[in-house]
Parts: sequence; C-alpha cells; structure tokens
Amino acid sequence: MMKTHAHHSRGAPLSLLVVSLLLPLATLLGGAATATASDVPDNFDNQGKKLFTAQQRTPTANLSADSGGRTLAEFYALRQYPGSPPRIPHVVDLAFSGNETDCLSCHGKGGYSTEFDAFAPVTPHPENVLCTQCHAQTKTGEPFVETDWVSIAAPKLGLSFLGSSPPPIPHSLQLRENCIACHTGPGAVVEIRIDHASRGDCRQCHAAVPQSQPLTEFTRK
Amino acid sequence: MKLDRREFIKQAAIGSALATAGSLFPGISFGSWNRLAGGPGVLAWQKTPCRFCGTGCGLLVGVSDGRAVAVKGDPNCTVNKGLCCMKGYHSVQALYGRDRITTAKVRKNGTLVEVPISEALNLVAEKLKETRDTYGKDSVAMYGSGQWTIPDGYVASKLFKGCLGTNNVEANARLCMASAVTGFMTSFGLDEPMGCYEDIDHADVFVTWGNNMAEMHPVLFSRMLSNRKRRAGVKIIDFATRFTRTSQAADKTIIFKPQTDLAVANSICYEIIKNNWVNDNFVNEHVSFHKGKTNIGYGTEDHFTFSDSAETIDFEAFKLFLEDYTPEKVEKISGVPAEEIKYLASLYGNPSLKVTSFWCMGMNQHTRGTWINNLVYNIHLLVGKISTPGNSPFSLTGQPSACGTVREVGTLTHKLPHGVVMNENDRQMAAEIWQVPVENIDPKPSYHTVEMFRALDRGDIKFMWIQVTNPMVTMPNLRRYRDGALKDDRFVVVSDVYPTPTTDVADVILPAAMWIEQEGMFGNSERRTQHFAQIVDPPGEAMSDTWQIIEVAKRLGFEKQFPWSQDNYIEPIWEEYRRFHTGPKHEMAPYTVLAERSGVQWPFVDGRETRWRYNPAYDPACKNDKDFDFYGKKDNRAWIWARPYEPAAESPDEEYNFWLNTGRVIEHWHTGSMTRRVPVLHNAVPSSYVEIHPEDAADLGVVNGELVKIISRRGELTMPAQINGRGVPVRGMVFVPFFDESYLINEVTLDAFCPISKQPDYKKCAVRLEKA
Ligand code: SF4
Repeated sequence: MMKTHAHHSRGAPLSLLVVSLLLPLATLLGGAATATASDVPDNFDNQGKKLFTAQQRTPTANLSADSGGRTLAEFYALRQYPGSPPRIPHVVDLAFSGNETDCLSCHGKGGYSTEFDAFAPVTPHPENVLCTQCHAQTKTGEPFVETDWVSIAAPKLGLSFLGSSPPPIPHSLQLRENCIACHTGPGAVVEIRIDHASRGDCRQCHAAVPQSQPLTEFTRK
Repeated sequence: MKLDRREFIKQAAIGSALATAGSLFPGISFGSWNRLAGGPGVLAWQKTPCRFCGTGCGLLVGVSDGRAVAVKGDPNCTVNKGLCCMKGYHSVQALYGRDRITTAKVRKNGTLVEVPISEALNLVAEKLKETRDTYGKDSVAMYGSGQWTIPDGYVASKLFKGCLGTNNVEANARLCMASAVTGFMTSFGLDEPMGCYEDIDHADVFVTWGNNMAEMHPVLFSRMLSNRKRRAGVKIIDFATRFTRTSQAADKTIIFKPQTDLAVANSICYEIIKNNWVNDNFVNEHVSFHKGKTNIGYGTEDHFTFSDSAETIDFEAFKLFLEDYTPEKVEKISGVPAEEIKYLASLYGNPSLKVTSFWCMGMNQHTRGTWINNLVYNIHLLVGKISTPGNSPFSLTGQPSACGTVREVGTLTHKLPHGVVMNENDRQMAAEIWQVPVENIDPKPSYHTVEMFRALDRGDIKFMWIQVTNPMVTMPNLRRYRDGALKDDRFVVVSDVYPTPTTDVADVILPAAMWIEQEGMFGNSERRTQHFAQIVDPPGEAMSDTWQIIEVAKRLGFEKQFPWSQDNYIEPIWEEYRRFHTGPKHEMAPYTVLAERSGVQWPFVDGRETRWRYNPAYDPACKNDKDFDFYGKKDNRAWIWARPYEPAAESPDEEYNFWLNTGRVIEHWHTGSMTRRVPVLHNAVPSSYVEIHPEDAADLGVVNGELVKIISRRGELTMPAQINGRGVPVRGMVFVPFFDESYLINEVTLDAFCPISKQPDYKKCAVRLEKA
C-alpha cells in the first residue's frame, strides 16, 4: 500500500541515523527496536502530558520572552549528531556534582544566570534527574585519537508542506515531547523559538513527520 | 552571533516571505511537486469554512493561477480567530490527489467504463424511474451526508420527499448526531445548542463527557487550554472510558466502564439534590419532570420499531427514581469511586462555578444515546446552569454541516426543512414552498439509515444514490450491507471525489466537485451558517452534488420545481430554503449577508445574531417576561427526564472478553478518503492499528507493532498492535481508528442502535483477541 519515494534524500543515509539515534535511546529506556508490521512509529506520541504540564507551569511572560542569546549553530556544536545529548558546555562546580538534581535549579525552569550572564536552556525531560548519565562534562578538548566519524545533517527548518502551513515536527519526539522547553522563552535558540505557545496544544497544527523517515504516499490497495 | 530583536524580526520576515504560497522551498525533499508556471503569481485570499470537522473554523484559501495553494486561519471568524488545526491548514491539498475522479463511470458487463457525464445522468434518471415504476416509490433511496452543502441536502429532500413522494432520504449524520437531535427535542423541543463557542471564554469548569476533544475538536480544545492559562482556577475534567490526548491535558481524568455514564449522570443528580444544590427558583419556574418507557431494546433485528411515550411526573417522583443511584451503588456499576462522583456533583453544584459540558460521539453513538443526552441536560437544569455565558451543556457535532444540512434542512426520513412529515401543517408548508401537491409528501417516515441498508440487502430498496459519504467503510456490521449492495438487481449510484470501497460497489460513479470547487454553505455546531463561493474550478467533468440532483430532477420532468440555471442556482435555492425558517426562533440570514461575513449565527433577527438562546438578554424569541423562556416545549419549560441505566447491547463475556471501541485520530477525517491524500497527514499516521493496554498485550504475548486478530460474532480483522501510544485503553478494552480502508473494523462492529434516535453505537461491542 505504501510507496516509498526513492528520490527523497534527506541528506544522509537513513541507516546511519537509525543506528546512531535509536540504539542509545532504546538502551536508555530499556526497550529495543523490533521489526514490526506497523507503519506507525513505536512510542507514538504517548508523553503529551509533559507538553500540557509545561504550558500550564511556564509563566506567560516566559512563553514569549526572547533573549536572542543562543543560535542553532551553537546548539548543534554541543552535539555529536542531531538528537544526541548535548555535552555540558560550562564548568561544573565540584561541590555540585554530588547531587545531579541541582542541574534542575537552572535547567528545570530556565531563567537568567548572573554567573554565566545568559539565560539557561530548559530541559524537555526534567523527570530524568540523573543528568550526567547522558550529558558529559568536558575536561579536555583534545581527542585521544583522530576519528572518521561523520554526522548527518540537522533537520532542515521551515519545511512546510505548502506555503503558509505550519511546518511538521522534523525530529523524533522521544525525550523531546515537551515542545515548550526548547521552543519558547529567553533560553530558546533564536531560529526555532516561537511565541504562540499560550494555545498549548502544539501538535494540533504541527504533525509529527520526522525527517529521518522516508516520505510515503497513499495508494489504494 | 547574537541577533538583536530587530534583526531577528527582519530575518524572520525574510523567512516567512519565502514561505508564502506558491514559492515552496527550493531543493527540499517535499519539493518534488510541480511548480506553477510563471512563478508564484498573484495570490488572492478567499474565505470558506474548513472542509473537515464540525468546529467549522473559518479559513482563508490562497489562490494563485486558479489553483488553491495555501491556507490561513480567518481572523474575522469568531470560531477560530485565525487559528486552524493541521487538517485545516493542509486541507487544500486534498483537492489535488492524483486519483481524483474526473469523469463519470458506468458499469458495463461488470467493469466500469468512462462515459460522458450527461450519459451517466441519463442512466441514473432512467434507472430511478424504471425502479420506481416497477417496485413502487419506496424502492428508491438517497443517502447523503453531513458533508453535503446546505443546497445539496435541500434539493435532495425536495426531489425525493416533495417530487418523488418517498421519505427514503437519509444522511450519514444519522450515524453521528441523531441522538443529539432526539436529546434536544425531548428535553427542549427544539434542536441545536442554546450556547455558543464563546462559552469557552467564560466557563470555570469544563467536563468532557466521553469526548476526546483534543483530537476531534482541536481548535476548541486549545481555546480551553489558553483560557486555563489566562484565567485563574479554570479546570478541565476528562470523563472517559480510555486515556487520550484529552486526558493528557486534563486536570483530572475519571474513567468509567462503557455505558455506565447513564448511572453516573443520575448519581450526580442524586448528589445535587441530597446536598441542596438544586436551583429551586430555576426549577420551579422553568423545568417540568417526565419519564418514558424502559427496557427499550437495541434494534439489532430487521423491522425493529419503537416509539417512546412521555408521562409527566413530579419532583418527588424524580427524587424517588434517583434513590437507585447513590454514589456507592453507582460505584459498583461504573467503577467510578463514589468520592469522584461526589466531586463531579460538587463542581456542577457549586453556585459560584460556571460549568460547560462538552460531548460528541461518546454520548451520541450509544444505544441509550437519547437518554444520556437527556441526563446531562438534567444536571444542568437542576442547578440552572444553562443559556448563560459559560454555563452550557454543549453538544458538539462531528461533521462540517451535520447541523446545517442534516438537522436544519432535515435530510432524515421523518424530517422536513421545517418540522416533520407526520405533521400536517409542516407538510402543507413544504408543499407550498416546493410547489408540489401536498399529497405528494408521505406522512409516514420510511427507513432510518441502518434499516435503509437492511432494506437494500432485503431487496425492499433496489436503487440507492449515495453522495459525499463512504458507507462501505462506515456502516456497522459492514459485511451484511456490502453483500446487500452487491446483489444482482441492486443499482447503486455514488457521487464522490476519490475512489473508495463505496465507489467499488457502484454501478454508476459521478465525479463530484469538492468543497470550494463549488458554491455552497455549511452549518457548524454553534448554529453558524457559513457561505463559500466557488474558489477554484472542479477538475474534468466533476459537477456539484446539487447540480447533479437538479440534472436528474429535470430529466424526471420536474423543471418547474428546479427552474434554476447553472450560472446562478445557490442564491435562489438559499432564498427559497430560508422561507422555511421565517420567525425569531430560527430566522436565517439572507444570502447577501452570508456572502459577506465569515459565518452568521441563527436566529438572525433584525440584523443581529443570537449567541445564547432561551435567554431574553440575547434571544429576541423569548416572550414570557421571565429570566428564561424555554419556548420549544408547549409548557414553556425544559424537560427533566427520569432515564435509568440499562446495559449495552453486547457486553464482554467469557467467550468475547474485550470491549471494542472505535473512533478517529486528529490527522484523519472519517474514512481518510481525503486526508490520506494530504501528504503531511498521511505521513504522520499512515495506517491504522489497535490500541491495547500494555498488560493485556503482555498476556497476549504481543509487542508493539505485532499483529493481533480481533474477533467478534460478526467478523474478524488482523492488524498491528499499538501499545502505550497516543491513546491507551483500560484493561479489557481495545480501540481502533476507522480511517483506514485496509482495516475495515466495521466488519467487526455491531449494528445495534438507540431505539429513539436510531443512531448506532460504534463504541461498544464484544470481541476476543488472538495473537496473529
Ligand atoms: S478540522 Fe476542525 S478544528 Fe481543524 S481546522 Fe478544520 S474545522 Fe478547525
């Protein structure tokens, strides 16, 4: 029934993304990718509550505030590939490391940090409190040996299906179900920041069509 | 690089200029579609209601070089104030699926061959006449839709009821809101909500009764969310049988066992009375008490008939009736803890809270659908929370014109545009406006939808014309009705825009103009009539459903009743139809006003729309000098009904131990015949699945995506499991979205219906599961 568009290239081999993205996350969640008969993605949109909770909890001013302080280039510079956990870009006080939930004192709700003279980015998954399980500190910039690693391209922005229509969500929602965390407020990356989150149900308009999946077209059997 | 705000806005502006219609992003992966010759061209924006759900959002469609190329929300439309959902935003892409039906097809020796549309229309007229002459007037039938435009439904009713003298006119809205209608008629004597969407901006508490509004009426739901964000103390209570996206957003989810909403609603009334929360003034002035028949059956057998009879009772008798519904007793039936029932009652009972109840298919697709509608009105009436801003029992409708075309025009077997066929005055009025002898209009209703398809199977009906709907996916107990339609001497005409399982059984396929390829009107859930002009040309020989009917009517010799020219027929049809609704209770806006505005609410009296009915501050039809006038009933009161809890037609047992529930997802409209041809929507949810509770899946030994066989007494279906997806049913229940013609879940469902409304229950039947 489904016909795959062979000519739809998203800039990188699909297999690379599947291997790099799914394995660590599946391991993290204690699940494994299975071969299935369904076209509907695993983990299909089941954590929406996080989004609604965030909409209620985030002060209205923060939903639309903007600092212009972070760019997409800086955002991706901290990641090995799109979707990987970013490394921690700042020094972490030794006294701090005994209790990882302290990360949430800045990254739980965001807000201005005098220490860093910047607005802290908000984590979309504050319920996972063992932050350093995934987010590594950087002690040295020197590689141990050089690597031939290549990353895939980041999802392209603004890929609306037709002029004026809301762009679909280009990335997997796993661990990133809370749109408000990354896409609103003064800590958000300027290129992907929006200021219409008060309506609360982002997925009312933005369908989840990850760019890591081939586009298909409906044909009758 | 740090952008200051002004630079950022500038860049964003460049970005959005790029994104304007026609100039799709160059070189991107979606961008394989053909470009308009000569670049983006001049863009004109034209208003229309959305093609899809009963919310009825106003859209502005961007047109370039004669093609619809973009959509934005219409800021002038108070329904959505410039916002849409993903279906609305991408709706225009549904016009351009590559397999659009653009020519007529006629079955010759078993295969469909293309013919000129005039030849196909000749055949339709001939066959209709021949069948009628041979087998009688009730052997021919029209089956339409809540997605018919108002003129579509009007000319269908005029031709079949007025000219051909058969009441065999039904519409798929029977499957979607018949119980809402009978609920309104029995409680208030007049159809359609007293309130309007503005209630959302005033209510403190929202209770969604078996209603996954976040997916089914998304723009209204997010208006609730934005109110909860903006105003302190606003709460959303999700009263449901399964966990949905609405549950994800709600402040509280209360789960009840299927069918037991009847008991819980009565229990809420019990608590309201027990705690002295009754609004005595309101009840004494504006309410009367009644009871009807009980043990009323389920309609699963052919020729089932039922008619209710009302008996007036007093408040004391009503109180006595409620003794069976103490929260403790109802906890045992419904699984809802007594505490939560008391909590719900306290929300309705608290005089300082404004409460709006929303419901749609959960209450309407219910073998006691009329009753549960009555019972929720009971709650609002006892506490007097009705017909004022924010206090609103709000029956949402599913389809864009279920209200406009089916309820208001009356495209149901017992209805006329004003009133019912049983009433002599109503027949007189119709005969006069239609210019037909009054004897033409049969005073006896014939078949409601399920019985109509049974009659087709039995052979009582031999000719059926189906427009704008896909019953070969949506009829419950589908296999019987498909086998019936395929029988040798049955003649089925289907007008549609894409091939579907229904066109697969057709003898004639007529290519239909879709939505903005024709002029027309829809009517949404809040009594709003919405006009749209023809914005683009229909493809090939595609023709509006209205004009198809007129062409056939002319061929049958009814030129006098259908005198209009193809250049201008919508305006005269509207002005003729409008005569049926003269008067302050239902006055409709004239064509010129409709053409200008982004929807107009009726009653439209002296240039003013009526937002809250039965309330003299807003409704000019109120005449009794009191604070409310429920003028729909002869006693000028709203009726409270003693309606008991009765079980579902089929409940899980030893052999078939699961409930089967069916419904929609936000991405797809009904059977997906349009939305699956919209790339973004298809790619978001490409195929259907069965939602299973994780523990049930573990017992069955299936993991996400593995195949499960669903077996009922009617049929079976094998499809992939969805575990912990967007929706999660409770243990002992599975849920299947019905949009996917590859998985015909209605071969498994049961054709039991509410004996009063004749609306089938798609939410409850018994199945068992096997790992496939
Ligand atoms: S589908 Fe319904 S909610 Fe969505 S845009 Fe259309 S009318 Fe509005």
